[in-house]
Amino acid sequence: MQDWYDPTQPDLTRRRFLQALGASSAAALMTGAPRLVQADRGDGLVQPEPKADAVILLWMAGGMASPETFDPKTYKPFEIGLPVEEIISTFPAIDTNVDHIKISQGLENIAQVMDRATLIRSAVQPDLGHILHSRHQYHWHTGYVPPLTVAAPHMGAWMASLLGAQNDVMPAFVNIGQRLEGVGESEELKAFTQPGFLGSAYGPFNIPFPEQAARSVATPEGMTPERFERRYDRYRQLAEQRGGGISDYHEASMRQAIDHAHRLLGSEHKNAFDLTLEPKENYEKYDTGRFGRGCLLARRLVEAGSRFVEVTTEYVPFLHWDTHEKGHETVVRLKQEIDRPIATLVRDLEERGMLDRTLVIVASEFSRDMMIEGVPGSNARDQSRAKTDVLKEMQHYGLHRHFTGGTSVLMFGGGMKKGFVYGKTAEERPNIAVENPMSVEDLHATIYTAMGISPKTHFEVERRPFYVTKDGQGKSVSDVFA
Amino acid sequence: MRILLSVFISALALAIPVRGEPVDFHTQVAPILVQHCYECHGGDESKGGFSINTRGLMLDADAAEPGNADASYMIELILEEDPAFIMPPQGKPRLTAEQVATLKAWINEGMQWEAGFTFAKARYEPPLEPRRPDLPDAVGDRTNPVDRIIDAYLAEQDLAPTPPVDDAVFYRRVSLDLVGLLPGPADVERFVADAGPDKHAKLVDQLLAEDVEYARHWMTFWNDLLRNDYQGTGYITGGRKSISNWLYRSLLENKPYDQFTRELLAPTGGSEGFINGIKWRGDVNSSQSVEIQFAQNVGQVFLGINIKCASCHDSFIDRWTLEEAYSLAAVFADQPLEMNRCDKPTGEIAQPAWLFPELGQVDPAAPRNQRLQQLAQLMTSPGNGRLNRTIVNRLWHRMMGRGIVEPVDAMQTEPWSEDLLDYLAVYLGDEGYDLKAVMRLITTSRAYRAQSLVQDEQAESASFVFAGPIIKRMTAEQFVDAIRQVTQTQTTGVDKKFAARRIEQELGLQTPHNISRASMLASDFLQRAMGRPNREQVVTSRPQMLTTLEALDLANGEAMNEKIKAGAAKLLELHGDKSADDLIDLVFTRSLSRVPDPAERAVCRSMLGQRLTATGVEDLLWSVFMLPEFQYVR
Repeated sequence: MQDWYDPTQPDLTRRRFLQALGASSAAALMTGAPRLVQADRGDGLVQPEPKADAVILLWMAGGMASPETFDPKTYKPFEIGLPVEEIISTFPAIDTNVDHIKISQGLENIAQVMDRATLIRSAVQPDLGHILHSRHQYHWHTGYVPPLTVAAPHMGAWMASLLGAQNDVMPAFVNIGQRLEGVGESEELKAFTQPGFLGSAYGPFNIPFPEQAARSVATPEGMTPERFERRYDRYRQLAEQRGGGISDYHEASMRQAIDHAHRLLGSEHKNAFDLTLEPKENYEKYDTGRFGRGCLLARRLVEAGSRFVEVTTEYVPFLHWDTHEKGHETVVRLKQEIDRPIATLVRDLEERGMLDRTLVIVASEFSRDMMIEGVPGSNARDQSRAKTDVLKEMQHYGLHRHFTGGTSVLMFGGGMKKGFVYGKTAEERPNIAVENPMSVEDLHATIYTAMGISPKTHFEVERRPFYVTKDGQGKSVSDVFA
Repeated sequence: MRILLSVFISALALAIPVRGEPVDFHTQVAPILVQHCYECHGGDESKGGFSINTRGLMLDADAAEPGNADASYMIELILEEDPAFIMPPQGKPRLTAEQVATLKAWINEGMQWEAGFTFAKARYEPPLEPRRPDLPDAVGDRTNPVDRIIDAYLAEQDLAPTPPVDDAVFYRRVSLDLVGLLPGPADVERFVADAGPDKHAKLVDQLLAEDVEYARHWMTFWNDLLRNDYQGTGYITGGRKSISNWLYRSLLENKPYDQFTRELLAPTGGSEGFINGIKWRGDVNSSQSVEIQFAQNVGQVFLGINIKCASCHDSFIDRWTLEEAYSLAAVFADQPLEMNRCDKPTGEIAQPAWLFPELGQVDPAAPRNQRLQQLAQLMTSPGNGRLNRTIVNRLWHRMMGRGIVEPVDAMQTEPWSEDLLDYLAVYLGDEGYDLKAVMRLITTSRAYRAQSLVQDEQAESASFVFAGPIIKRMTAEQFVDAIRQVTQTQTTGVDKKFAARRIEQELGLQTPHNISRASMLASDFLQRAMGRPNREQVVTSRPQMLTTLEALDLANGEAMNEKIKAGAAKLLELHGDKSADDLIDLVFTRSLSRVPDPAERAVCRSMLGQRLTATGVEDLLWSVFMLPEFQYVR
């Protein structure tokens, strides 16, 4: 087995590696600490050569309709009396800078970086009965369908645990743009925005509002940096008086954790969190709103050494991509929010020479359709709030049903092919994946493989194997790699 | 039944098929499997996810098709010519033609297996019945049965008993352990000054008599264990029912544990949320249906048995089978329950049954309510020593930092002292299933009163030798309450559906003060950050270490900062006229049950400066709350 950790920083990664082995800080544990199984036990666990060092996941929360974005179909403009069954796309297609790739109107900036993209059009999701966002989001982020007997870790936590941060001072896993309090289904969101059995050391550093990121690493409200530093200094003196004499590993590790926290808070790397330090011109290129600022923050954090950064358009039931009515108008706005920042992020990473080693993924829990809930033949309940057979008013115009039969995933950098389309959906309804359907497990296997993590990597938890892709069965799709 | 492998190996010579005779598994097949397959696929090994341990496991892996050897994957691999796929792998000895013929004949004849046989390694098999061990002679005045057993154990290990902690540390420890609160400085002072010989036992009695604080504290433990909370997935949609009112009342009444268990298994009112589990919206994996949740939770909570493996397939790791998991689930099911193997329907209907037929069995023909009542009776029958062992082990784990059996949910593991576990278990029965009595027995022992061990690393289970108590991290609830106590602030936000106050009144209890405890409130940011779990799964032990992310939340997070600010403001309001030294003493005695030593005092003085200010007091509070000595129960 080859070394899968960064050989240029053996001490650092080795330490983290040992932490992973000995991590005892796992909730919901029944039989002691989870144990990383690293040896090939005849099941083909060989860690691949990493093609990327970091992941930026741009999460289109709520179900991004592919026919309205990256997989345009026949366009029907709004017209009173138009039978809704004739509608597949509510936007016309536009050219991109790759001859054979067309995407949807409103994504003109992304169209100009398609020559750096691998566009997967055939991602599919299982039909989980009533098509619920929270369960599909849980599935996408952890690779497992809830409920589970063991809390499954978020993809970011897997990477934090297996790879650590690129820079020891930075949080490895950062989650930008999602409020976890005071929004609908917040308990369900929390259920997957967590490190599961890996333990809280690998949990997300949550930054709901990117413009407040600097605040999350600044001194507490009303405290000067000088006082903050002095407080810690005095604390250390105090702790060393008696605590210094006790070398219990619990207490030593607590001191270490506090020290590590202050190292970030006192380091120059915390400047990465401060968007006001970005040159104004560049800041404005990103600044289409909260999501755009999140993309800028993600770039800064990855640059400073974070490993996995998710930026979400935020899931709030019936808002944003969760379009159950007024779909067309909402998607016009959403495209304005995402188009320029995504294209800017790709170019920015490229200019900094980071794109080849950073995997940028644009994904969503499922797609949408005008007519079909779930997949053809599904027993899922119709969730549209603007039901009608023919268009009467604008609120009817849009893709208002959850569709799991064919979803687009856009990837840039990180060893992916450029200007490449993988998979295909039917031109006519039902627009299911008709070529190279890609399951969540295989998509994850591809992402993990890019990061140098075998899809069969697993921990022993409660004396059972728990794999990074469900039951170790995810298969990396080699066609998408350059 | 298990058979020594050497028997098979010596039987190899016999492994020749005899024409006309059916193949004998024991003498003909098993030796071949041992010779060629066992090393990688038997016992603890299951390379490629394939185990030969039982017939069921071989079939689950689609290794063979009984009745059709030519269509069987294992035969295909054995006869394979491509070195990349051949089995046994290249470099290993090949099967002889006779051996292949034997295996094929065996498969064609339906793969007969010896009933109950497994290649899994023999493990410690925990006894079912209760056992009353003989108590060794007491050493001097160490007459507590716990000490009589442990002193004999220590002598056997050539270890001397650990000396006792000083009285103030003991008070803080026992108070946090039994009622979850820091002791008041005046109480500690009185206790330390008390020269009475039985003051430690009296203190334990006094704490256990504080019914309200006791119940509030133990809500944390039981909510984790019974997967109950005040809000969370399922409560809004009605897919889950809270048992908070029933639970709180039960703890206030110190309901006997057998009755407590029966009321959870055969609910009469208010406790049904436990067995009903969480009904998830949408289709779920068959291993997470409410029936299987029932089997998993009942096995784990009451018996320390992990049925999670066996709810998909025969367990690789212990003796429980898919059929047993489904039979237990069927006790709860209100309709015939079809078994699923690895999420695929098998067509077989599970017969309601529980796990230990030695003690009797539920009547599969009885209606559901009666079956549940029968299960409740069987579970709490005097012959079921495992119920008692499981709970006394959990209590020992809470008090002493590590179980007698560890992990606490793997009760098939050998205890470090069978005598101690068995004694505590029968003691629970002797005392009428009074959990407080067991806590009293433990906390009045010298073993409990001993100094905590200083450990440089986590004790691994296999080689563990008990030498004394291990420090425990405060729960999130204790941490929040402790800050409130030191700073004399209030915590508010009682869940409206949780009628704690009404229950206290109905029971005629004097509520000591009008302040809510964190364990009685919905979780919040700070509690989550300090390790209070999301209670979708049963949780029996919380993280014992502070992580960097948690430390960040404590260093500059808003929630902690607000608590510190509010606390400092309150202390200044109440004690602003005090000298710096007096305030330092107040914070230290409340937080740590001791005064600072001169060096500590000097550092604290430098924080406070000449005159008491908000910033000075805030920094002092933060620094003390961040001390490991504060955050661990020592």
